[in-house]
Amino acid sequence: MYQYFLPVLWSFLACVGFTLLFNIRGWGIPITCAGGALGWLIYLLFGKTIPAALLASAFIGVYAEIAARLRRCPVTGYVLVALLPLVPGGGIYYAMRQMLSQDMDQARITLLETFGMATALAIGSMLSSSVFRASWSYVKRLHAQVHLHERHHHS
Amino acid sequence: MNQQQVLNLAADMGCALMGSGAEIYRVEESMERLLRAYGMDEAEVFAIPNCIIVSVTAPDGQPVTRMRRVGAHGTDIERMERCNDLNRRLCAETPPIAEAQRLLRAIPGQARRYNDRVSLLGYAFSPTFFAPLFGGGLTDMGCACLVGLLVGLFQVYGGKLFGGNGFFHTLVSSAAASVLALGLVRMGIPARLDVITISALMMLVPGVAITNAMREIMAGDVLSSLSHAAAALLTAVAIALGTGVGLALMQYI
Repeated sequence: MYQYFLPVLWSFLACVGFTLLFNIRGWGIPITCAGGALGWLIYLLFGKTIPAALLASAFIGVYAEIAARLRRCPVTGYVLVALLPLVPGGGIYYAMRQMLSQDMDQARITLLETFGMATALAIGSMLSSSVFRASWSYVKRLHAQVHLHERHHHS
Repeated sequence: MNQQQVLNLAADMGCALMGSGAEIYRVEESMERLLRAYGMDEAEVFAIPNCIIVSVTAPDGQPVTRMRRVGAHGTDIERMERCNDLNRRLCAETPPIAEAQRLLRAIPGQARRYNDRVSLLGYAFSPTFFAPLFGGGLTDMGCACLVGLLVGLFQVYGGKLFGGNGFFHTLVSSAAASVLALGLVRMGIPARLDVITISALMMLVPGVAITNAMREIMAGDVLSSLSHAAAALLTAVAIALGTGVGLALMQYI
């Protein structure tokens, strides 16, 4: 429990700094930072691997879609900052470091991992929000049909 | 109400949205909705990063086209949300064009921005908490805060120095970060070099470009998506090269 609490808190606070850079205000700040914190929690729970990043970003995608619909605001504001802690900044650094120390094999592995991580982030949130949108519009259509049906009955 | 005025209104709205960092499909969709709301069903809108083209046909059959360029811009969520709200309102109420223009022009004044000092605070704040996230301790937090502050100084005030050259700007910022991190460690502060450098580099990482690239490919804008993906890749290379400067220095000092 304790081992998860602190990282989640750090992730939340790290996101707060980014909201200042992207000029996010008001309720947007806690909402997007909570997304970043929960995303990091999922990443930790599934063992800090590339599939874990995929799951985390998939979660953030759905979370942002829901938040945006509740607040009637563009989704970008919520997904942008929440994904940032997961972006593989360390990978870029270590790959460079290994390259400079002529350790090309290790550098290649790190580069591939970094690329995989970035792709997982992109694909994860893309897939989840696409699925969410498709099912959302389906539910809406179904809802509209039921209403139409009811009105038909009344008349 | 004539075509040209509506065309100008739509182009201004598109520019305002794009300038606040909205995705391409949002820019196109908003402009199309606005044009339809004002009765221009045959309007065509085309947007790619930094450029908007909008074309309508006047009643006499004469085509009217307008092209607008949008310069290098950051992301301003507050302004984007306000433009989005205004666009929705204009589509629903279709006030007279002059009134709509006035409302649109009022947005930059209404949407408050954090000033440079607060942005700087953000640059120092995030790395402070990235440090423990990447396994650092209290000293690492302090050092990461300092290095982040330096990155912020370069990012916020270095704009005039580097102009629109984002690649070079990122390269210099990350080199500065890596040199300062190295200096702090060499001064005898018991901090971990990797942790403090990476924490500060997180401020330069192309998260926005990756996010935009993916949202645009989702919407089917392959061209814009590719250009953002290329930007993300270039930024990553710039960060790596910049860090390389610091790391190479390490071998000599």
